[in-house]
Amino acid sequence: MDTTKRKTVLALFFLSIHTLLLSGCWDRTEVNDLAIITVAGLDLTDDHKLELSVNIYATKSSGGQQMGGMSDSSGGGAGNLVVRSATGLTMADAVSKLQQMLPRKIFWGHDEVFIFGERLARQGIVEVMDYLTRHPTPRERANVFVSKGLAKEVLKLQPPIEQSVSDSLREMAKSHTGLNITLKELAQMMAGKTKAAVIPWIEIKPKQDGQEAFQFIKGTAIFKNGKMIGRMNEQATRGIMWLRNEVKNATVTLAPEETKGYVSFFLLRSHTRLIPHNEGDNWSITAKIETLDDIVENSTDLNLFEPKHTKKLEMALGSDIKKRVNVALAQAQKMNADIFGFADAFYRKYPKEWNRAKDRWDEIFPIVKVELETKAKITRPGLTGKNLFKSKQR
Amino acid sequence: MGNWKRLRNHLLRSGRRNSAHDETQINAPQTLIRLSKDVNENLQRLQGIYADCSDIIFHEFLIGDRTKAVLIYVDGLSHAEEMDQHVLAPLQQEFVQEHTLPNIRKKITVSAIKEVQTVADVIEEISSGNPVLIMDKEMQALSIGLSKWEKRAIEEPSAESVLRGPREGFIESLRSNTSLLWRKLRSPDLKIRSMNIGKYSRTRVAIAYIEGIADPDLIKEMTNRLRRIEIDGVLESTYIEELIEDNPFSPFPQLLSTERPDVASAYLLEGNVVVLVDGTPSVLIAPVTFISLLKSPEDYYERYVVGTAIRWLRSIFFAISLLGPSIYVAVVSFHQEMIPSALLLTIARSREQIPFPALIEALLMETMFEALREAGARLPKQIGSAVSIVGALVIGQAAISAGIVSSPMVMVVAITGISSFMAPRFTVGIAIRLLRFPMMLLAGFLGFLGLILRIILILNHLLTLRSLGVPYMSALSPMKGRSMRDVLWRAPRWALNTRPYLSGEWNKYRQASGQQPGPTKRDEEGY
Repeated sequence: MDTTKRKTVLALFFLSIHTLLLSGCWDRTEVNDLAIITVAGLDLTDDHKLELSVNIYATKSSGGQQMGGMSDSSGGGAGNLVVRSATGLTMADAVSKLQQMLPRKIFWGHDEVFIFGERLARQGIVEVMDYLTRHPTPRERANVFVSKGLAKEVLKLQPPIEQSVSDSLREMAKSHTGLNITLKELAQMMAGKTKAAVIPWIEIKPKQDGQEAFQFIKGTAIFKNGKMIGRMNEQATRGIMWLRNEVKNATVTLAPEETKGYVSFFLLRSHTRLIPHNEGDNWSITAKIETLDDIVENSTDLNLFEPKHTKKLEMALGSDIKKRVNVALAQAQKMNADIFGFADAFYRKYPKEWNRAKDRWDEIFPIVKVELETKAKITRPGLTGKNLFKSKQR
Repeated sequence: MGNWKRLRNHLLRSGRRNSAHDETQINAPQTLIRLSKDVNENLQRLQGIYADCSDIIFHEFLIGDRTKAVLIYVDGLSHAEEMDQHVLAPLQQEFVQEHTLPNIRKKITVSAIKEVQTVADVIEEISSGNPVLIMDKEMQALSIGLSKWEKRAIEEPSAESVLRGPREGFIESLRSNTSLLWRKLRSPDLKIRSMNIGKYSRTRVAIAYIEGIADPDLIKEMTNRLRRIEIDGVLESTYIEELIEDNPFSPFPQLLSTERPDVASAYLLEGNVVVLVDGTPSVLIAPVTFISLLKSPEDYYERYVVGTAIRWLRSIFFAISLLGPSIYVAVVSFHQEMIPSALLLTIARSREQIPFPALIEALLMETMFEALREAGARLPKQIGSAVSIVGALVIGQAAISAGIVSSPMVMVVAITGISSFMAPRFTVGIAIRLLRFPMMLLAGFLGFLGLILRIILILNHLLTLRSLGVPYMSALSPMKGRSMRDVLWRAPRWALNTRPYLSGEWNKYRQASGQQPGPTKRDEEGY
């Protein structure tokens, strides 16, 4: 190439590179200019306005000269959480009001927990959900909860074990003792065929015996058309989870017939399948629950090496699961909230029939007949087959 | 523009004048002239050429008290004792035979002896340390191979040390270096062609290749490129490298330099050409691919599982050394949502008192690191350790406690620094270290967008780059399945049946296939 031509090309190249820099770093934000929100709580005020409360992680260390960033990590944590609240007509309004109170830029990127206050939940969370799904920054994988009383109260707690309320709530949900619902799943349920949704319900255990107050998951809030219509206790929640195929951890304890004492099962795997049937106006569903369990405790005199005993125990376990599921099912049908995804199951198998019946779904759901088929299997009787400490065993 | 053109023309003209001037010197009339029959005339001419050269010895003597002869040599370049013993002594006592050149030649008890005709050749021989004997009534001179100069012992090259493998390295003497190659590859197919480059340095440059493995076109191309060189002196092989590489503007080395005879031999066996330059221990290997720059000789000397693992580790850290600080800067200043929450909180806390944005912080620390490395590299060992202690204290501890830089940044810089030292070739390591700076700038301005832009630019460049016609990224692009055995992993020796794609295409198969070891089979011979 000719030298001048090459020079021209080079010059043009560098000029065009510089246009990239012209935009500058307009959206560059340093980490220490961010107000990192870890939990957001939403409440309804008395004058029917939305109150947004957030837990902000204050990175400023409280005690004097800081020797390196890492060395004070043990001192940080719980004490560094700041709660701020702002009220507004809508969510966006509340956020902008909140921004006025903060010296740093609100950063939703690490908000991993959203808590709806009970009053707001009963009033309806549709408007709030619109903001949370429309705005690009809130995380779709954040967990959602409904709190008894004000969400703000939960935010003020100082969890003793975990670093923050956010951490402790998220870990609780992750342990699968209750439901684990993310923003995305909530949006899917609310926008789905049945408009029914479930959100874990949290309550605060007040301060007593010198122990700090803490929050814990206690059952489930049931939503219909974006409004909370009721709640179920822990037992019914387990039933919901069995039917929704969300059971990951379970310890089932039951008392076998013909003997004294209890046997406890530890769940290894479980799978639930919904098989819908439709004949004219007759809608029914067969739920097949297959589960694989270990025995972890045996206080009866049954010798678990005997196949006839394990057979019986498997049957007993199956009927126990049925009992649990039926509790949830009965309550859901009474509330007329299809939180198990029956409508989707019907739609998938009988799209035409469902489309014809979908306007009447609220009438159909309470009378859908649900057949439960459980198949429990005990894989191992634990490390000790016979009870080592009982002389007489069957 | 007009001014500029005039200036350029002026420069070009003066350049041309200079080169014309040079030519007259190169083709100086006396050098083409053949030696005359008269020893005195020859002596005068040579003395004229070597005027003001105090260390050229013209030793005049009589062969058998009859014929005048002159022994010419550079003091210190030739073996004086041997000269006395094997040249002067027998010749001075030569009274019997007729004093013709063949007879004289027989009397000299030195094996490396040859006849030279022209003045130019005489000068050449004298410069290489061979004493030259001119005698009366002969139009030819005798060059006696008694050159000897001080050279270093063969040691392990400190820049390319290995745990397992040969510990010898090239030295500054070309002859020793070629002998090292000969000791590795004892086939007569190992060819070593040589030429002189450099008007004043007259440096011997040798092209080594294996006939039947190296592509003849490659040898031709290399020879042509070397022939084109017109330079005053070659003091290091880099002089040659910069004059023969394909893209002189690239930060990436397009010729591999090594000080290890085993590496050079390995490349010879893969069909590459090795250029040895007198006066420097580093030889050049061409063509070279990007992948081969990431290989270390030890990949092949260790067991192949270990070799593969180390190669992967090296590749990962190669990427880190290029991208490490840039990713950190981009994430911390643009994409905070991409870090796990707990980590972000830690970073946020440590950045709380830092007065600079992450970009400035990164540039500061990286520059500091480079400065420390450079300071340490040039200093004697005793002081070098002092520099590293001060550096570690200043940029490591004090900077953090003073609140100038954050500790995650120090960590990132340290990891990046270490990973850049993992590059087996220093030239690659430093190229990557330089590319890191524009990378950081772009990451600081545009976030991941800039990072990706820069990666695309670098990839584009790498993909267009060639080393003596072989695509720099070959084996990956153009992709060749069978070459992957020595790219993605290091296959065991018995599976490395083929030479690398493109550079080893001339003679594809390295060894017989199916050599996976196992116990002797029943039907096998010798069972």
